Amino acid sequence: MKTKILYILIAAFGCAGTLSSCTKLDEEVYSEVLPSKFTPTEKDLPTILAPTYASLRTVMCGWQGYFDLQEEAADCIITPVRPNGWDDAGTYRRMHQHTWTTQEWQPYNTWINAFATITKTNTILSQIDAGTLQLGDIKAGVVAELRAVRAFGYYLLLDNHGNVPIITKVDPNDKTLPKQNTRAEVYAFVVKELNEIMPSLSEDAKTTYGRLNKWGVKALLAKIYLNSEVYVGTAEYAKCIKEANDIIASGKYRLDNNYSDVFTYTNQNSAEIIFAIPYDEIYGVGNQIHMKTLDPLSQGVYQMTAQPWGGNCAVPQFINTYDPEDSRLKDSWIQGPQSNPLTGQVLITYVNSVPGMGGLDGIVAPSNAGFRIGKFVIKQKATNNLDNDFPFLRYGDVLMMKAEALLRTGDPDGAASLVTQVRQRAFKSNTSKATVSGADLLKGSVYQYGLQAPDGTISATNGGADIKYGRFLDELGWEFAAEAHRRQDLIRFGIYETKQWFNHSPKSPTRSLFPIPQDEIAKNPNLKQNPGY
Amino acid sequence: MDNTPLIGVSVKEKGTTNGTLADNNGNYNLKVSRTDATLIVTYIGYTQLEVPVNGRQEINILLQPESKGLNEVVVVGYGTQKRGEVTSSIATVKAEDFTKGTVRDAGQLIQGKVAGLRITTPSGDPTGGTQINLRGLNSLNGTSEPLILIDGIPGSLNTVAPEDIEAIDVLKDGSAAAIYGTRATGGVILITTRKNPTGSKSTIEYTNYVNIQKIVKKPDMLTADDYRRLISQGVKYTDYGGNTNWLDEILQNPVSQNHNLSLFGGNSTTNFSGSVNYRDWEGIFLKTGQKRLTVRAALNHSMFDDKLKTNITVINRSITSSQGGADGYAYRQAIIRNPTDNIYNDKGKWQERDIYFYDNPLSRINEATNDARLRETRISGSLDYRPIKDLSIKLLASNIQTNNLYGSSTTFEHVNTTKSKLNGTASRSTTAATENLVEFTANYTKSIGHHNFSILGGYSWQDAVNENFYAYNFDFPTDAYSYNNLQTGAALKEGKADMTSNKNKWQLAGFFSRLTYNWNEKYLFMASIRREGSSKFGANYHWGSFPAASVGWRVSKEDFMKAVPEISDLKLRVGYGVTGTIASDPYNSQTSYKYDYAEGAYIDGKWVPGFVPARNFNPDLRWEKKTEYNAGIDFGLFKNRITGSLDYYTRTVDDLLYNFAVPTPPFLTGNMLLNAGTMKNSGFEALINVKAVDTKLLKWNSSITYSTNKNKLVNLSNDKFDVTIDFINAGYTGEPIQTYTHRVKVGGPIGQFFVLKSVGVDDNGKWLVESKDGKVIPISQSSDDDRQYYGNGIPKYLLGWNNTFKIKNFDFEVNVRGAFGHNVLNMQRMYYENPVNKAYNALKTAYDPKYGKTLNSDLVYVSDYIEKADYVKIDNVTLGYTFSDKLIKGIRNLRIYVSALNLFTITKYKGLDPEAVSYTGDFSFAPGIENRDTYPTTRTFTAGLNVSF
Repeated sequence: MKTKILYILIAAFGCAGTLSSCTKLDEEVYSEVLPSKFTPTEKDLPTILAPTYASLRTVMCGWQGYFDLQEEAADCIITPVRPNGWDDAGTYRRMHQHTWTTQEWQPYNTWINAFATITKTNTILSQIDAGTLQLGDIKAGVVAELRAVRAFGYYLLLDNHGNVPIITKVDPNDKTLPKQNTRAEVYAFVVKELNEIMPSLSEDAKTTYGRLNKWGVKALLAKIYLNSEVYVGTAEYAKCIKEANDIIASGKYRLDNNYSDVFTYTNQNSAEIIFAIPYDEIYGVGNQIHMKTLDPLSQGVYQMTAQPWGGNCAVPQFINTYDPEDSRLKDSWIQGPQSNPLTGQVLITYVNSVPGMGGLDGIVAPSNAGFRIGKFVIKQKATNNLDNDFPFLRYGDVLMMKAEALLRTGDPDGAASLVTQVRQRAFKSNTSKATVSGADLLKGSVYQYGLQAPDGTISATNGGADIKYGRFLDELGWEFAAEAHRRQDLIRFGIYETKQWFNHSPKSPTRSLFPIPQDEIAKNPNLKQNPGY
Repeated sequence: MDNTPLIGVSVKEKGTTNGTLADNNGNYNLKVSRTDATLIVTYIGYTQLEVPVNGRQEINILLQPESKGLNEVVVVGYGTQKRGEVTSSIATVKAEDFTKGTVRDAGQLIQGKVAGLRITTPSGDPTGGTQINLRGLNSLNGTSEPLILIDGIPGSLNTVAPEDIEAIDVLKDGSAAAIYGTRATGGVILITTRKNPTGSKSTIEYTNYVNIQKIVKKPDMLTADDYRRLISQGVKYTDYGGNTNWLDEILQNPVSQNHNLSLFGGNSTTNFSGSVNYRDWEGIFLKTGQKRLTVRAALNHSMFDDKLKTNITVINRSITSSQGGADGYAYRQAIIRNPTDNIYNDKGKWQERDIYFYDNPLSRINEATNDARLRETRISGSLDYRPIKDLSIKLLASNIQTNNLYGSSTTFEHVNTTKSKLNGTASRSTTAATENLVEFTANYTKSIGHHNFSILGGYSWQDAVNENFYAYNFDFPTDAYSYNNLQTGAALKEGKADMTSNKNKWQLAGFFSRLTYNWNEKYLFMASIRREGSSKFGANYHWGSFPAASVGWRVSKEDFMKAVPEISDLKLRVGYGVTGTIASDPYNSQTSYKYDYAEGAYIDGKWVPGFVPARNFNPDLRWEKKTEYNAGIDFGLFKNRITGSLDYYTRTVDDLLYNFAVPTPPFLTGNMLLNAGTMKNSGFEALINVKAVDTKLLKWNSSITYSTNKNKLVNLSNDKFDVTIDFINAGYTGEPIQTYTHRVKVGGPIGQFFVLKSVGVDDNGKWLVESKDGKVIPISQSSDDDRQYYGNGIPKYLLGWNNTFKIKNFDFEVNVRGAFGHNVLNMQRMYYENPVNKAYNALKTAYDPKYGKTLNSDLVYVSDYIEKADYVKIDNVTLGYTFSDKLIKGIRNLRIYVSALNLFTITKYKGLDPEAVSYTGDFSFAPGIENRDTYPTTRTFTAGLNVSF
C-alpha cells in the first residue's frame, strides 16, 4: 500500500518528474509579432513605410510641437495666460520673448520626432541593405523615398537646431554614441541626398499624396536654397528658381480656386498641395490646432464632441496689417460673434485685442481676447482631432519662393506678377486690389513693430518701414499665416532678433538656432551646445 | 485555571493508536490496555500533558494554556517553527489580537500591530482596500508590495473574509523571505485560515455587524451667503439666485452590514470547515457601494493511520458593485461649484454652465452607471504523505480563475451628451485570468540527542495567463439600453469608438532548499537557497539564486542565566538573505513588433497601421537583487509578562530596474528599461507586549510597536551607456498648475518635496519665494532652479499602541496609531485656498490674509501648502460584552459589541486626513500628497454580534 501511494504521488508530481518541461521559461507571445512570424513582402510595404511618415504628424501638431515652435517664436501667434490657465510655468512667455531654456519642450519635441523619423528610415534602409527586406524591382524607388523622408527629417533639424549628428545606419551592436556635425555639414548632406535620389522618385502627383515624390523633393530643395544664406552664408537663389520652374513646368499642380480649399477638412482633394502631412479624426489623429486655439465656449459653435482648451490667438499688431478686403483675413482667423448654429445664440465674441502675455505682471487675457486660428476649417461635430491635412509644401509656396528669389536677384516685376497670381483669389470682391507692382514689393512692411501696452497702444514704435522687401514679408504673412512658416521668414528677412512685437524685445542673434536639448547632451556627451546657450 | 470544560480534547494512550475526544462537558472515556499506561492529552493552545494512569478509574486533568512568546508556533516559508527556534525577523498576530469591528481586509486586522509594516486606509471608497508597505521602498519599477500567501497560495489581502483568518505571520527580513525568492522583496505575509478548532467537534459560529459611516471632515467652502456678502464687497462672483450646499447634495448616510457564518464538523479522520461571508457596504457618496459574497469550504481527510493527509479547499468570491458616477472628478465638481447655483434649471433639467471643466456633479453621478462584477474561484488541493515519522512529502496544487465583467454608460442627460454631443455612451469590458501553482516539498526532521535538524527541499511552478477585452460605443438612438445593446451605437461602426483586446502570459519556476540545525535549542542555525527563473527576463538572465542564512543564540538556555530569573527568555539572532524583484510586466525583454495606427500613415490613398518595434530591445534585463542584514533580540521578562522583539535591518537593492533615458539618436525612443542603480533602506523596529494588569478582576494587555526607516537612492547609472542620472522628478500637481512635486536626488531619500519655498506675500498679493542664493524674490522672477527640497512625505517614525482590557464579562480595546516626522502636500488648499478663479468656489480661508496680505496670485505650487503632518489616531475603540455560556442553552458563546473606527485624529495638519495619502503605484516616488479628488475618509460606528453553537 505504501509503495502504491508513493507511485500516486510520483504520478501526481509528474511535472516534477519531467523537470525539463517545468523549467521552460520561454515567453509565449500573443499580442505582439515575433520577427520569426514575419517575412516581409511587397504587400507589407505600406505598413513598413508608414511609421516613417507617422512621426511627422507629431512633429507638426503634437503638443508643444513644430507648429508652436515656428509660430510662437514669431510675430503672428501668441499663447497668453488665460482665466483657465495657460501659464504652464511660463513656457509660452519664454517662446514669445526668446528666453527659452535648453530644456524647453518645443524645440526638444521637434528634435525627438525628427530623429524618430530618421531612425525609422535608417532601420528600414539597413534591413534593405542587409537583404532581410527584399523588394525586387521597386527597391530603387523605395530607397529613394526613404532617403527623401530622412532628408526631410534632417531639413527640420538643419533649420531649427543646426549642429546635429548625421546618422545613416542602424546597428544594434554598435554602442558608440553619435558624433555631432556642423550645420554646414548637415546642409551639404541634405542637398546631396535630395539631388542624388531625384531620378528614382515618383513623378506621379495623385498616388503619392501624403508622401514625398519628385515635386515634393524639388519644393523642399527650393526652400533650402531660398534659406541657404541663413544656413551656410551663401545665397542660392538661382537654384531655388530652377527647382520652382521645374515644378511649375510639370503642370502637376495649380492654385486652388478658393483659399480655404487648401486647408479644409477635405483638403486631400486640393490641387495645390505638393506635400501634406495627412491627418484623420480616426486613423491619423493629432491635428488639435482647434483644441488649442478655441475657447471652451466655441464647443457649441461647432457642436464639437470635445471641449476645446482655449489658448493661442493672433497678435493684434499682425491682424492690423491686413487689408480689410483681403478675404484671407476671414479665411485665416475666427473673429467677432460666434453663435450656436441651432439656436442662433451668440456664445462668445472674439476681439482683436489682447492685454499681454500675462504671468509677470498679473495680466490675464480674457477668454475672448484675440482672433483664433480658423484656417483649418472646423467641421460641425468635430472631435478633438481634425480631419484637415497640414500642407507643408504647396504650389502657392513654390510661386512665392520663386517670387522672392526673383525679387532678391533684381527682378521685382517678375516677382510682382507671381505675387499677383497668388493674390487673385483673396480679392475676388475687389479684383483691382489683387494686383501688386514691382515697386510695391520694394516697400517696407506695414506691420507696426513695437511693444504693445496692456491698453493696446504701441509704445516704442520702430515700425516696419525700414525692413528691406518688408512688403514681401507682409505678403508671406498674409498668405502663410498659421502654416508654421513665420519664424523662418522673420530670420531670412533679418528681423527675428531686431524688431519688437507685442511683449517681445530682441534678445540675441544666437536665438535664430534653438539649443541642443540639455537632456540629450546629458545622455550623449559628444554633443556640444549651440553658441549663446 | 477557571475549570471551564474543554470540548474535544484529545486523549490517547501512549504508544498506541487508542484514543478518544472529550465531550461537550469535557468528559472522556477511554479503555486503556494496561493499568500502567500513560495518557497523552493534547489541545490546541494548551501545553501537551502526559499523565500516568497508575490504575486510576477517574482522572481529572487540568490543562495549562500554552504560554506564548517563544513557545508559540510560527508559520515560516513552507513549514512551521517554534518561536524559540526562529532565527529570522517574523511577526505573528493571532486572531484574538486582531482589530475588532469593521475591517476592510486582512491588512486592517493587523494595522499598527506589526512593527515596520505600514498599513493605511487612503480613502473612504467602499470598493477600496488598504495599502501596505514593509521596510520602505525597495524598487523603482517593480512592486514594493509584499507577497501575500493564503495557506501557501498567492492571493491578496481580501481573498478571504477577515472573519475566516486564524493568524497572520509576516516574514520581514531577507533571511526569512529568501525562500520565496523573487516575489519576496516587499516581505511575505502568510495568512492562515481557520481550521476546525476542536479537530472533530461540530460548531457553528455566526457573527454580524451593522455600521454607519460619517465623513471625517468636509472642506469648508464658501456658501451662497458668503458669495453674496463678497459680491456686495465688490468681488466678482456670479449670483445665480439659488442656495445649494453641493457637497451635502452628493453625500448619503450609508448603512452597511456584514454577516459571517462558519461551520466546522467531522471526526478524527475527516473534517470540514466552511464559511459564508456576505458584506454589503455603502459609501458616503451617492450611489457608491459594494456587495461581496465569499464562500470557503475545506475538506480534510486522513488515511492510513494519519500517514496520508489530504485537503481540498474551494474559495469562491463574488463582488458586485452598482455605482453611479461619483468619482473623484464629481467630488471636485461639488467642491468648486457655485453655491448660488441650482441643481435643476427652470425646465427641470440638470443646470449646466459653459465653464471650463465645470459640470453639475449630480448629473455626473445620477446619469452615469458603473457596474462591476468580479468573480474569483480558487481551488486547491494538497497531499501530505508521511511514509516514516520524520519525513513529510507534500504536493500542493492550485488553480485560480478570475473573471471580471464591467459595464458603464451615460444617459442623454449626462454632460457627455448635453455638452459633448455624444448621444449616450456605453462600454463593456471583461478580464479573465488563470493562475496555476504546483509546489512539491519534502521535509525531513530528526533529533539525535541534542542535535535537532531539518532539511527541506522543494520545487515550485507558477504560471498565469491574463486576457482582456474592451468595447466602447456612443451615438445611440436611445439611452434606455444602458450598456446592454452596444451594437446600436453608431460611433464604433464609424471608427470613432475603441475596441481592444490583449493577452499575456508569464511563468515562474523555482527550486529551493532549507536546512535548520540547533543544538539543544540553544544554538540555532538556518540556511536556505532558492534558484528561480522567470520568463519575464532575457534568455540569458532567466535564472537567479537567492541564498539566506541566519544564526541564533538562545541565551536564556545557558546555565549562567539561571542567576537572572527575571529574564525568562532571551534570544539573539542575526540573518542575511537575498531576494529579488521582477519587472512588473511580461515581454519587457522581448524582441517583438507591433502594428499600430499611431505609427500608421496615409499610403496609396488609404490609412494603414505602421509596423514598428514594440520597444527599445534589451535582452539583458535581469533581476533586481536585494541583500538584507537583520539583527534582532527576542525576549521575555518576568515569566514572559513582558515579551518583545527588537530588530535592526539594513537592505541594499542592486540592479534596480529603471526606465532609463537613452540618447535619441541612435535610439528610437528616449527611454529603455535597464538594470541601473542601487538603493538602501535601514531601520529599527520594536515590539513590546506587556501584561500590565493580570488579576482575576481586570486584565490589561498592552502592546507597542515602533519603527523607523531611512531610505537612500545610492546611485542611478548604467555602465553600458556610461551615463548617470542625478535625480528623478516625480509626482504631478494636476491641471492647471501642471508641474512635478517631488525630486529623488541620487544620494538622497525618496519622498522629498521639491518646491519653491514661499516666505511671504508682496503688496500686490503675489508670492515671495526664496531664490537659490537665499534671497527673497517675487515668484515671477523665480525659475525651476530656485526650487528646494522641503520636507518628506514618508514618516520617519511609526507608532502603534494597542490595549485590551477585560473586566469580568466586558472587554474593551483601544488601538492608537501615529506617524511622525513627515509632511503632506495639502492639495485642496493649493487649489481652493486661493480666490483667483471666480468661476470656481474656494475655501473660506481663501480670503484670510496670508502673511498679512490678501493673496492675488495664480494657482502655484509653493511650500506654503506643504504642512507638517504628524498625527496620532485613536483608530479603533471597541467595547464588548460576553454573556455567560449558561444564559441560553445550546449557545456556547455570545458576545455583543460596539466599535468605532478612525474615531479621532490629533494633528496640526489642516487638510481632511493626514493619512489619506497614497504611497503606492504612481505615488511611490511622490508620497505625501493628499489629492484634492481623493474619496474622503470616513469614521465608522459599528454594532455587532458573535455567537457560536
